[in-house]
Amino acid sequence: VFEFFDHTADAGFRVLAPDRETLYRDAARALFSLIVEDLDTVEPLEQVHLELSGNGDDDLLFDWLNELLYLYDTRGLVFSRYALRWTETGLEADVAGAHPDPDRLLHEVKAITYHDFEVNQTEPGWEARVIVDI
Amino acid sequence: MPKQRYTGPLEQVSETCWRIPRDYKPGMLVDGLIYATRELIEQIRDDQAPEQVANVAFLPGIQVASLAMPDIHWGYGFTIGGVCATDPEEGGVISPGGVGYDINCGVRLMRTNLNQDDVQPHLDRLVGELFKEVPCGVGRQGKYHFSRKELEELMRHGPRQLIDRGLAVDADIEHTEAEGCLEGARPDLVSDRAYERGARQCGTLGGGNHFLEVQIVETIHDERAAQAMGLTPGGVCVLIHSGSRGLGYQVCDDALRLLRGAPKRYGIDLPDRQLACAPVHSPEGAAYLGAMRAAANFAWCNRQLLMWQAREVFERVFGRTWQELGMDLVYDVAHNIAKFEEHRIADRTKRVWVHRKGATRAFPPAIRRLRKRTRRSASRSSFRATWAGRVGFWPGSRGAWSGRSAPPATERGGR
Repeated sequence: VFEFFDHTADAGFRVLAPDRETLYRDAARALFSLIVEDLDTVEPLEQVHLELSGNGDDDLLFDWLNELLYLYDTRGLVFSRYALRWTETGLEADVAGAHPDPDRLLHEVKAITYHDFEVNQTEPGWEARVIVDI
Repeated sequence: MPKQRYTGPLEQVSETCWRIPRDYKPGMLVDGLIYATRELIEQIRDDQAPEQVANVAFLPGIQVASLAMPDIHWGYGFTIGGVCATDPEEGGVISPGGVGYDINCGVRLMRTNLNQDDVQPHLDRLVGELFKEVPCGVGRQGKYHFSRKELEELMRHGPRQLIDRGLAVDADIEHTEAEGCLEGARPDLVSDRAYERGARQCGTLGGGNHFLEVQIVETIHDERAAQAMGLTPGGVCVLIHSGSRGLGYQVCDDALRLLRGAPKRYGIDLPDRQLACAPVHSPEGAAYLGAMRAAANFAWCNRQLLMWQAREVFERVFGRTWQELGMDLVYDVAHNIAKFEEHRIADRTKRVWVHRKGATRAFPPAIRRLRKRTRRSASRSSFRATWAGRVGFWPGSRGAWSGRSAPPATERGGR
Protein backbone atom coordinates (compact mmCIF):
# COMPACT_ATOMS: atom_id res chain seq x y z
CA VAL A 1 0.00 0.00 0.00
CA PHE A 2 1.07 3.59 -0.41
CA GLU A 3 -0.09 6.96 0.85
CA PHE A 4 0.79 10.47 -0.23
CA PHE A 5 1.97 12.95 2.37
CA ASP A 6 1.78 16.68 2.50
CA HIS A 7 4.75 18.62 1.13
CA THR A 8 4.86 22.37 0.50
CA ALA A 9 6.23 22.47 -3.04
CA ASP A 10 6.70 18.89 -4.09
CA ALA A 11 4.94 15.56 -3.60
CA GLY A 12 5.82 12.70 -1.31
CA PHE A 13 4.65 9.17 -0.72
CA ARG A 14 5.21 6.45 1.84
CA VAL A 15 5.01 2.80 0.89
CA LEU A 16 4.38 -0.09 3.30
CA ALA A 17 4.77 -3.59 1.93
CA PRO A 18 5.03 -7.15 3.27
CA ASP A 19 7.97 -7.96 0.97
CA ARG A 20 10.57 -6.31 -1.22
CA GLU A 21 8.84 -7.00 -4.54
CA THR A 22 5.60 -5.45 -3.34
CA LEU A 23 7.55 -2.46 -2.06
CA TYR A 24 9.06 -1.82 -5.50
CA ARG A 25 5.75 -2.43 -7.26
CA ASP A 26 3.74 -0.16 -4.98
CA ALA A 27 6.38 2.58 -5.17
CA ALA A 28 6.05 2.45 -8.96
CA ARG A 29 2.26 2.57 -8.65
CA ALA A 30 2.53 5.60 -6.36
CA LEU A 31 4.79 7.36 -8.86
CA PHE A 32 2.49 6.74 -11.81
CA SER A 33 -0.58 7.62 -9.76
CA LEU A 34 0.90 11.12 -9.53
CA ILE A 35 1.31 11.21 -13.31
CA VAL A 36 -1.99 9.75 -14.51
CA GLU A 37 -5.57 9.33 -13.30
CA ASP A 38 -6.92 5.82 -12.66
CA LEU A 39 -3.63 4.01 -13.15
CA ASP A 40 -5.32 0.63 -12.73
CA THR A 41 -7.22 1.13 -15.97
CA VAL A 42 -4.01 1.59 -18.00
CA GLU A 43 -3.79 -1.52 -20.19
CA PRO A 44 -0.52 -3.50 -20.40
CA LEU A 45 -0.20 -2.98 -24.16
CA GLU A 46 3.54 -2.40 -24.47
CA GLN A 47 6.22 -4.25 -22.58
CA VAL A 48 9.73 -3.08 -21.68
CA HIS A 49 12.56 -5.09 -20.15
CA LEU A 50 14.78 -3.38 -17.57
CA GLU A 51 18.06 -4.36 -15.98
CA LEU A 52 19.46 -2.37 -13.08
CA SER A 53 22.62 -2.96 -11.16
CA GLY A 54 23.25 -2.02 -7.57
CA ASN A 55 23.53 -3.57 -4.16
CA GLY A 56 21.76 -1.58 -1.51
CA ASP A 57 18.04 -1.00 -1.68
CA ASP A 58 18.63 2.72 -1.14
CA ASP A 59 20.21 3.04 -4.56
CA LEU A 60 18.25 0.31 -6.27
CA LEU A 61 14.77 1.54 -5.38
CA PHE A 62 15.84 5.05 -6.36
CA ASP A 63 17.21 3.82 -9.71
CA TRP A 64 14.09 1.74 -10.32
CA LEU A 65 11.79 4.74 -9.96
CA ASN A 66 14.18 6.93 -11.90
CA GLU A 67 14.33 4.45 -14.79
CA LEU A 68 10.54 4.27 -14.99
CA LEU A 69 10.35 8.06 -15.01
CA TYR A 70 12.95 8.25 -17.78
CA LEU A 71 10.96 5.76 -19.88
CA TYR A 72 7.81 7.78 -19.35
CA ASP A 73 9.53 11.04 -20.26
CA THR A 74 11.19 9.73 -23.43
CA ARG A 75 8.59 7.22 -24.69
CA GLY A 76 5.42 8.57 -23.10
CA LEU A 77 4.61 5.20 -21.55
CA VAL A 78 2.82 4.84 -18.23
CA PHE A 79 3.35 1.44 -16.64
CA SER A 80 0.70 -0.37 -14.65
CA ARG A 81 2.13 -3.91 -14.44
CA TYR A 82 5.49 -4.86 -13.01
CA ALA A 83 7.22 -8.26 -12.75
CA LEU A 84 10.52 -8.14 -10.85
CA ARG A 85 13.37 -10.57 -10.29
CA TRP A 86 16.45 -10.01 -8.18
CA THR A 87 19.74 -11.08 -9.70
CA GLU A 88 23.31 -11.31 -8.45
CA THR A 89 24.04 -7.84 -9.79
CA GLY A 90 20.77 -6.08 -9.05
CA LEU A 91 17.33 -6.23 -10.54
CA GLU A 92 15.56 -7.30 -13.74
CA ALA A 93 12.03 -6.33 -14.51
CA ASP A 94 9.41 -6.62 -17.21
CA VAL A 95 7.05 -3.69 -17.07
CA ALA A 96 3.97 -3.13 -19.19
CA GLY A 97 1.77 -0.16 -19.85
CA ALA A 98 0.41 2.19 -22.48
CA HIS A 99 0.41 5.73 -23.81
CA PRO A 100 -2.18 7.46 -21.64
CA ASP A 101 -4.92 9.73 -22.89
CA PRO A 102 -3.45 13.28 -22.52
CA ASP A 103 -6.62 14.37 -20.74
CA ARG A 104 -5.85 11.96 -17.93
CA LEU A 105 -2.37 13.30 -17.19
CA LEU A 106 -2.02 14.98 -13.80
CA HIS A 107 1.46 16.14 -12.75
CA GLU A 108 4.76 16.60 -14.49
CA VAL A 109 7.19 14.72 -12.25
CA LYS A 110 10.61 16.21 -12.90
CA ALA A 111 12.67 13.85 -10.80
CA ILE A 112 12.92 11.48 -7.87
CA THR A 113 14.81 13.28 -5.11
CA TYR A 114 17.18 12.00 -2.44
CA HIS A 115 15.64 14.36 0.09
CA ASP A 116 14.38 12.28 3.04
CA PHE A 117 14.61 9.23 0.78
CA GLU A 118 14.43 6.13 2.98
CA VAL A 119 14.13 2.39 2.54
CA ASN A 120 13.86 0.25 5.67
CA GLN A 121 13.25 -3.39 6.36
CA THR A 122 11.05 -3.43 9.44
CA GLU A 123 9.62 -6.17 11.63
CA PRO A 124 6.38 -6.57 9.64
CA GLY A 125 7.94 -5.94 6.21
CA TRP A 126 9.34 -3.06 4.17
CA GLU A 127 8.86 0.69 4.26
CA ALA A 128 10.00 3.45 1.89
CA ARG A 129 9.63 7.21 1.83
CA VAL A 130 10.06 9.15 -1.40
CA ILE A 131 9.77 12.83 -2.33
CA VAL A 132 9.50 13.73 -6.00
CA ASP A 133 10.01 17.11 -7.64
CA ILE A 134 6.90 18.29 -9.44
CA MET B 1 0.89 12.60 7.32
CA PRO B 2 1.01 16.27 8.37
CA LYS B 3 3.93 18.58 7.70
CA GLN B 4 6.36 18.91 10.60
CA ARG B 5 6.82 22.37 12.09
CA TYR B 6 10.31 23.74 12.59
CA THR B 7 11.00 23.90 16.32
CA GLY B 8 14.66 24.99 16.29
CA PRO B 9 16.03 28.44 17.14
CA LEU B 10 15.19 31.61 15.22
CA GLU B 11 16.82 34.66 16.81
CA GLN B 12 15.63 38.07 15.73
CA VAL B 13 18.53 40.13 14.30
CA SER B 14 16.46 43.04 13.00
CA GLU B 15 12.91 43.79 11.97
CA THR B 16 13.40 41.72 8.82
CA CYS B 17 16.20 39.28 9.59
CA TRP B 18 16.25 36.10 11.69
CA ARG B 19 19.24 33.95 12.63
CA ILE B 20 19.67 30.23 13.07
CA PRO B 21 22.91 30.23 15.10
CA ARG B 22 25.68 27.93 13.93
CA ASP B 23 25.70 26.13 17.27
CA TYR B 24 22.19 24.82 16.51
CA LYS B 25 23.68 21.71 14.88
CA PRO B 26 27.21 20.39 15.11
CA GLY B 27 28.67 20.64 11.61
CA MET B 28 27.17 24.02 10.71
CA LEU B 29 30.02 26.22 9.48
CA VAL B 30 28.11 29.52 9.46
CA ASP B 31 24.81 30.91 10.74
CA GLY B 32 21.60 30.68 8.77
CA LEU B 33 19.96 34.04 8.01
CA ILE B 34 16.33 34.31 6.92
CA TYR B 35 15.04 37.66 5.64
CA ALA B 36 11.40 37.97 6.60
CA THR B 37 8.95 40.05 8.58
CA ARG B 38 7.54 38.69 11.84
CA GLU B 39 4.34 37.73 10.06
CA LEU B 40 6.24 35.82 7.37
CA ILE B 41 8.55 34.08 9.81
CA GLU B 42 5.52 32.58 11.55
CA GLN B 43 4.46 31.05 8.23
CA ILE B 44 8.02 29.92 7.52
CA ARG B 45 8.05 27.96 10.81
CA ASP B 46 5.17 25.84 9.52
CA ASP B 47 7.42 23.39 7.71
CA GLN B 48 11.02 22.23 7.55
CA ALA B 49 12.36 25.09 5.41
CA PRO B 50 14.41 26.61 8.29
CA GLU B 51 15.92 23.17 8.96
CA GLN B 52 17.06 23.12 5.35
CA VAL B 53 18.64 26.56 5.78
CA ALA B 54 20.62 25.09 8.69
CA ASN B 55 21.61 22.03 6.63
CA VAL B 56 23.05 24.17 3.82
CA ALA B 57 25.37 25.76 6.41
CA PHE B 58 27.26 22.42 6.45
CA LEU B 59 28.60 22.91 2.90
CA PRO B 60 32.41 23.30 2.89
CA GLY B 61 33.69 26.70 1.86
CA ILE B 62 30.37 28.46 2.53
CA GLN B 63 30.76 32.22 2.94
CA VAL B 64 29.09 34.55 5.46
CA ALA B 65 25.85 32.63 6.04
CA SER B 66 23.32 30.24 4.58
CA LEU B 67 20.82 32.78 3.26
CA ALA B 68 17.08 32.53 2.74
CA MET B 69 14.72 34.94 1.00
CA PRO B 70 11.34 36.08 2.41
CA ASP B 71 9.34 33.54 0.42
CA ILE B 72 11.31 30.41 1.33
CA HIS B 73 9.48 27.17 1.41
CA TRP B 74 10.32 23.55 1.96
CA GLY B 75 12.07 22.03 -1.03
CA TYR B 76 14.41 19.08 -1.29
CA GLY B 77 17.97 19.57 -0.03
CA PHE B 78 18.13 23.34 -0.32
CA THR B 79 15.08 25.31 0.65
CA ILE B 80 13.33 27.02 -2.27
CA GLY B 81 14.38 30.65 -1.93
CA GLY B 82 17.84 29.69 -0.65
CA VAL B 83 21.15 31.35 -1.53
CA CYS B 84 24.62 30.04 -0.71
CA ALA B 85 28.05 31.26 -1.81
CA THR B 86 31.14 29.05 -1.63
CA ASP B 87 34.77 30.00 -2.16
CA PRO B 88 36.65 27.45 -4.29
CA GLU B 89 39.94 28.64 -2.78
CA GLU B 90 38.69 27.59 0.65
CA GLY B 91 37.66 24.11 -0.47
CA GLY B 92 34.28 25.44 -1.56
CA VAL B 93 31.87 22.97 -3.09
CA ILE B 94 29.29 22.99 -5.82
CA SER B 95 26.00 21.24 -5.06
CA PRO B 96 23.49 20.39 -7.82
CA GLY B 97 20.77 20.45 -5.15
CA GLY B 98 21.51 24.16 -4.70
CA VAL B 99 20.44 24.79 -8.27
CA GLY B 100 17.62 22.28 -8.48
CA TYR B 101 16.42 19.88 -11.13
CA ASP B 102 15.02 22.61 -13.33
CA ILE B 103 18.35 24.28 -14.10
CA ASN B 104 17.86 27.93 -15.07
CA CYS B 105 14.17 27.92 -14.43
CA GLY B 106 13.32 31.58 -14.82
CA VAL B 107 10.90 34.19 -16.00
CA ARG B 108 10.84 36.64 -18.88
CA LEU B 109 8.57 39.60 -19.30
CA MET B 110 7.62 40.92 -22.73
CA ARG B 111 5.86 44.26 -23.13
CA THR B 112 3.48 45.29 -25.92
CA ASN B 113 2.03 48.55 -27.28
CA LEU B 114 -1.44 47.12 -26.67
CA ASN B 115 -3.69 48.07 -23.81
CA GLN B 116 -6.55 46.23 -22.19
CA ASP B 117 -9.17 47.75 -24.51
CA ASP B 118 -7.24 46.58 -27.59
CA VAL B 119 -7.07 43.02 -26.35
CA GLN B 120 -10.47 42.52 -24.70
CA PRO B 121 -12.45 41.99 -27.96
CA HIS B 122 -9.93 39.38 -29.13
CA LEU B 123 -9.30 37.70 -25.80
CA ASP B 124 -11.03 34.37 -26.51
CA ARG B 125 -9.23 33.93 -29.80
CA LEU B 126 -5.91 35.07 -28.34
CA VAL B 127 -6.07 32.65 -25.43
CA GLY B 128 -7.29 29.82 -27.67
CA GLU B 129 -4.46 30.35 -30.15
CA LEU B 130 -1.86 30.58 -27.38
CA PHE B 131 -3.08 27.26 -25.97
CA LYS B 132 -2.97 25.69 -29.41
CA GLU B 133 0.38 27.05 -30.55
CA VAL B 134 2.51 27.17 -27.42
CA PRO B 135 3.00 23.60 -26.17
CA CYS B 136 2.05 23.40 -22.51
CA GLY B 137 1.16 20.78 -19.95
CA VAL B 138 2.43 17.33 -19.28
CA GLY B 139 3.79 15.33 -22.20
CA ARG B 140 3.45 17.97 -24.97
CA GLN B 141 6.28 18.15 -27.49
CA GLY B 142 7.43 21.20 -29.38
CA LYS B 143 7.34 22.17 -33.04
CA TYR B 144 11.07 22.95 -33.20
CA HIS B 145 13.35 20.08 -34.12
CA PHE B 146 17.07 20.32 -33.47
CA SER B 147 19.71 17.81 -34.46
CA ARG B 148 22.23 16.75 -31.86
CA LYS B 149 24.78 19.08 -33.42
CA GLU B 150 22.32 21.99 -33.26
CA LEU B 151 21.47 21.21 -29.65
CA GLU B 152 25.17 21.27 -28.84
CA GLU B 153 25.44 24.73 -30.37
CA LEU B 154 22.39 25.97 -28.44
CA MET B 155 23.92 24.67 -25.24
CA ARG B 156 27.28 26.25 -26.00
CA HIS B 157 26.08 29.68 -27.11
CA GLY B 158 22.51 30.12 -25.88
CA PRO B 159 19.76 31.99 -27.77
CA ARG B 160 22.23 34.07 -29.82
CA GLN B 161 22.43 30.88 -31.87
CA LEU B 162 18.75 31.33 -32.78
CA ILE B 163 19.29 34.67 -34.55
CA ASP B 164 20.42 33.01 -37.78
CA ARG B 165 17.31 30.87 -37.78
CA GLY B 166 15.16 34.00 -37.54
CA LEU B 167 13.92 33.09 -34.06
CA ALA B 168 15.63 35.85 -32.07
CA VAL B 169 16.94 39.37 -32.57
CA ASP B 170 19.90 41.16 -30.99
CA ALA B 171 17.69 43.12 -28.60
CA ASP B 172 16.31 39.85 -27.17
CA ILE B 173 19.81 38.71 -26.30
CA GLU B 174 20.74 42.08 -24.80
CA HIS B 175 17.77 41.90 -22.46
CA THR B 176 18.50 38.41 -21.21
CA GLU B 177 20.51 37.82 -18.05
CA ALA B 178 24.14 37.08 -18.93
CA GLU B 179 23.06 37.67 -22.54
CA GLY B 180 21.67 34.15 -22.44
CA CYS B 181 25.03 32.45 -22.25
CA LEU B 182 27.12 31.12 -19.40
CA GLU B 183 30.68 30.75 -20.66
CA GLY B 184 32.34 27.40 -20.19
CA ALA B 185 29.37 25.26 -21.12
CA ARG B 186 30.33 21.66 -21.90
CA PRO B 187 27.63 20.05 -24.07
CA ASP B 188 30.03 17.13 -24.48
CA LEU B 189 29.50 16.34 -20.79
CA VAL B 190 25.70 16.25 -21.16
CA SER B 191 24.51 12.63 -21.27
CA ASP B 192 22.74 10.96 -24.18
CA ARG B 193 19.72 10.60 -21.93
CA ALA B 194 19.61 14.35 -21.40
CA TYR B 195 19.82 14.98 -25.15
CA GLU B 196 17.03 12.47 -25.65
CA ARG B 197 14.80 14.14 -23.05
CA GLY B 198 15.51 17.62 -24.37
CA ALA B 199 15.44 17.00 -28.12
CA ARG B 200 11.75 17.76 -28.63
CA GLN B 201 11.24 20.05 -25.64
CA CYS B 202 13.00 23.28 -26.62
CA GLY B 203 10.12 25.73 -26.97
CA THR B 204 7.72 23.96 -24.60
CA LEU B 205 6.40 25.25 -21.28
CA GLY B 206 6.05 21.96 -19.39
CA GLY B 207 3.68 21.37 -16.52
CA GLY B 208 3.62 22.16 -12.81
CA ASN B 209 3.76 25.85 -12.03
CA HIS B 210 5.19 26.84 -15.42
CA PHE B 211 3.05 29.27 -17.37
CA LEU B 212 2.67 31.81 -20.13
CA GLU B 213 0.29 34.56 -19.09
CA VAL B 214 -1.17 37.59 -20.78
CA GLN B 215 -1.13 40.23 -18.06
CA ILE B 216 -2.22 43.82 -17.52
CA VAL B 217 -0.04 46.35 -15.70
CA GLU B 218 -2.23 47.38 -12.77
CA THR B 219 -0.01 49.65 -10.70
CA ILE B 220 3.22 51.53 -11.34
CA HIS B 221 5.41 51.82 -8.25
CA ASP B 222 8.33 53.62 -9.87
CA GLU B 223 7.61 55.91 -12.82
CA ARG B 224 11.18 56.22 -14.09
CA ALA B 225 11.87 52.51 -13.98
CA ALA B 226 8.55 51.68 -15.61
CA GLN B 227 9.22 54.20 -18.36
CA ALA B 228 12.61 52.66 -19.05
CA MET B 229 11.01 49.23 -19.28
CA GLY B 230 8.23 50.47 -21.54
CA LEU B 231 5.51 49.65 -19.02
CA THR B 232 2.41 51.81 -18.63
CA PRO B 233 -0.79 51.41 -16.58
CA GLY B 234 -3.27 49.22 -18.46
CA GLY B 235 -0.52 47.98 -20.77
CA VAL B 236 -0.61 44.37 -21.88
CA CYS B 237 2.40 42.16 -21.13
CA VAL B 238 3.30 38.53 -21.51
CA LEU B 239 5.05 36.74 -18.65
CA ILE B 240 6.70 33.38 -19.27
CA HIS B 241 7.89 30.98 -16.57
CA SER B 242 9.77 27.85 -17.65
CA GLY B 243 13.22 26.25 -17.52
CA SER B 244 15.45 23.62 -19.06
CA ARG B 245 12.75 20.94 -19.27
CA GLY B 246 13.74 17.25 -19.27
CA LEU B 247 17.27 18.06 -20.39
CA GLY B 248 18.01 20.01 -17.23
CA TYR B 249 16.28 17.49 -14.97
CA GLN B 250 18.49 14.77 -16.45
CA VAL B 251 21.68 16.84 -16.05
CA CYS B 252 20.88 17.30 -12.36
CA ASP B 253 19.97 13.66 -11.96
CA ASP B 254 23.16 12.49 -13.68
CA ALA B 255 25.23 14.78 -11.46
CA LEU B 256 23.60 13.51 -8.27
CA ARG B 257 24.29 9.95 -9.35
CA LEU B 258 27.92 10.83 -10.10
CA LEU B 259 28.18 12.50 -6.70
CA ARG B 260 26.74 9.60 -4.73
CA GLY B 261 30.11 8.67 -3.29
CA ALA B 262 31.73 12.09 -3.55
CA PRO B 263 30.96 13.49 -0.07
CA LYS B 264 32.58 10.42 1.51
CA ARG B 265 35.50 10.55 -0.92
CA TYR B 266 36.22 14.15 -0.03
CA GLY B 267 35.47 13.77 3.67
CA ILE B 268 32.33 15.91 3.62
CA ASP B 269 29.69 15.21 6.25
CA LEU B 270 26.17 16.11 5.12
CA PRO B 271 22.84 15.93 6.94
CA ASP B 272 20.83 15.29 3.73
CA ARG B 273 21.80 13.19 0.69
CA GLN B 274 20.11 15.70 -1.59
CA LEU B 275 22.87 18.17 -0.65
CA ALA B 276 25.43 15.90 -2.36
CA CYS B 277 28.33 18.03 -3.51
CA ALA B 278 31.95 18.00 -4.58
CA PRO B 279 34.71 20.59 -4.39
CA VAL B 280 34.58 23.05 -7.30
CA HIS B 281 38.21 22.05 -7.93
CA SER B 282 37.50 18.36 -8.45
CA PRO B 283 36.71 16.29 -11.54
CA GLU B 284 33.12 15.74 -10.36
CA GLY B 285 32.60 19.42 -9.56
CA ALA B 286 34.02 20.55 -12.89
CA ALA B 287 31.90 18.03 -14.79
CA TYR B 288 28.70 19.26 -13.16
CA LEU B 289 29.57 22.91 -13.76
CA GLY B 290 30.17 22.29 -17.47
CA ALA B 291 26.91 20.41 -17.90
CA MET B 292 24.93 22.82 -15.69
CA ARG B 293 26.06 25.78 -17.82
CA ALA B 294 25.02 23.88 -20.96
CA ALA B 295 21.57 23.23 -19.48
CA ALA B 296 21.28 26.87 -18.39
CA ASN B 297 21.98 28.05 -21.95
CA PHE B 298 19.41 25.56 -23.24
CA ALA B 299 16.83 27.03 -20.84
CA TRP B 300 17.39 30.52 -22.23
CA CYS B 301 16.79 29.10 -25.70
CA ASN B 302 13.60 27.49 -24.44
CA ARG B 303 12.22 30.77 -23.07
CA GLN B 304 13.29 32.58 -26.25
CA LEU B 305 11.32 30.11 -28.39
CA LEU B 306 8.31 30.34 -26.08
CA MET B 307 8.37 34.11 -26.45
CA TRP B 308 8.79 33.83 -30.21
CA GLN B 309 5.73 31.59 -30.49
CA ALA B 310 3.73 34.10 -28.43
CA ARG B 311 4.82 36.86 -30.85
CA GLU B 312 3.63 34.76 -33.79
CA VAL B 313 0.23 34.27 -32.18
CA PHE B 314 -0.16 38.01 -31.45
CA GLU B 315 0.82 38.80 -35.05
CA ARG B 316 -1.92 36.52 -36.37
CA VAL B 317 -4.59 37.71 -33.97
CA PHE B 318 -3.89 41.45 -34.36
CA GLY B 319 -2.77 41.43 -38.02
CA ARG B 320 0.41 43.40 -37.35
CA THR B 321 4.07 42.45 -37.00
CA TRP B 322 5.46 41.91 -33.52
CA GLN B 323 7.68 44.95 -34.04
CA GLU B 324 4.62 47.09 -34.81
CA LEU B 325 2.99 45.66 -31.70
CA GLY B 326 6.07 46.72 -29.69
CA MET B 327 6.57 43.20 -28.35
CA ASP B 328 9.99 43.80 -26.85
CA LEU B 329 11.61 41.68 -24.18
CA VAL B 330 11.81 43.70 -20.96
CA TYR B 331 14.08 41.24 -19.20
CA ASP B 332 14.74 37.56 -18.58
CA VAL B 333 16.03 36.38 -15.21
CA ALA B 334 17.02 32.95 -13.95
CA HIS B 335 16.02 31.79 -10.50
CA ASN B 336 17.63 28.31 -10.37
CA ILE B 337 21.28 28.74 -11.18
CA ALA B 338 24.86 28.81 -9.91
CA LYS B 339 27.18 31.56 -11.12
CA PHE B 340 30.77 32.54 -10.45
CA GLU B 341 30.58 36.09 -9.13
CA GLU B 342 32.65 38.76 -7.49
CA HIS B 343 31.52 39.94 -4.05
CA ARG B 344 32.92 41.95 -1.16
CA ILE B 345 33.27 39.57 1.76
CA ALA B 346 34.87 40.68 5.03
CA ASP B 347 36.64 43.62 3.34
CA ARG B 348 38.04 41.44 0.57
CA THR B 349 36.93 41.04 -3.00
CA LYS B 350 36.36 37.38 -3.67
CA ARG B 351 35.24 35.26 -6.57
CA VAL B 352 32.66 32.83 -5.26
CA TRP B 353 30.18 30.32 -6.62
CA VAL B 354 26.70 31.55 -5.76
CA HIS B 355 23.94 28.95 -5.73
CA ARG B 356 20.47 30.43 -6.13
CA LYS B 357 17.49 28.12 -5.92
CA GLY B 358 14.23 29.95 -6.34
CA ALA B 359 16.07 33.25 -5.95
CA THR B 360 17.25 35.96 -8.30
CA ARG B 361 20.17 38.36 -8.22
CA ALA B 362 19.31 42.02 -7.84
CA PHE B 363 21.51 44.92 -8.81
CA PRO B 364 21.58 48.40 -7.32
CA PRO B 365 21.21 51.40 -9.69
CA ALA B 366 23.91 52.28 -12.22
CA ILE B 367 25.44 48.84 -12.32
CA ARG B 368 27.48 48.15 -15.43
CA ARG B 369 26.04 44.71 -16.06
CA LEU B 370 22.60 46.12 -16.87
CA ARG B 371 21.85 47.49 -20.31
CA LYS B 372 22.09 51.25 -20.64
CA ARG B 373 18.38 51.84 -21.18
CA THR B 374 17.46 50.02 -17.99
CA ARG B 375 20.48 51.20 -16.01
CA ARG B 376 19.67 54.88 -16.43
CA SER B 377 16.40 54.58 -14.66
CA ALA B 378 16.91 51.64 -12.41
CA SER B 379 16.14 52.31 -8.81
CA ARG B 380 16.53 50.28 -5.72
CA SER B 381 12.81 50.00 -5.17
CA SER B 382 12.05 48.74 -8.64
CA PHE B 383 14.65 46.02 -8.47
CA ARG B 384 13.90 44.98 -4.95
CA ALA B 385 10.74 43.49 -6.33
CA THR B 386 12.70 40.97 -8.35
CA TRP B 387 15.31 40.27 -5.73
CA ALA B 388 13.78 37.08 -4.45
CA GLY B 389 12.49 35.88 -7.77
CA ARG B 390 9.30 37.67 -7.00
CA VAL B 391 8.12 38.35 -10.50
CA GLY B 392 4.67 36.90 -10.79
CA PHE B 393 4.50 35.82 -7.17
CA TRP B 394 3.40 38.35 -4.60
CA PRO B 395 5.33 38.68 -1.34
CA GLY B 396 3.83 36.53 1.34
CA SER B 397 2.12 34.17 -1.04
CA ARG B 398 5.04 31.73 -0.81
CA GLY B 399 4.35 30.42 -4.23
CA ALA B 400 0.60 30.72 -4.00
CA TRP B 401 -1.16 32.36 -6.89
CA SER B 402 -2.69 35.63 -5.94
CA GLY B 403 -3.76 38.54 -8.06
CA ARG B 404 -4.83 36.30 -10.90
CA SER B 405 -7.14 33.42 -11.56
CA ALA B 406 -6.59 30.31 -9.50
CA PRO B 407 -4.38 27.64 -11.04
CA PRO B 408 -5.67 24.17 -11.82
CA ALA B 409 -5.67 21.75 -8.92
CA THR B 410 -2.55 20.05 -10.21
CA GLU B 411 -0.42 23.13 -9.74
CA ARG B 412 1.53 23.88 -6.62
CA GLY B 413 3.84 26.48 -5.22
CA GLY B 414 7.56 26.40 -5.76
CA ARG B 415 9.76 27.03 -8.69
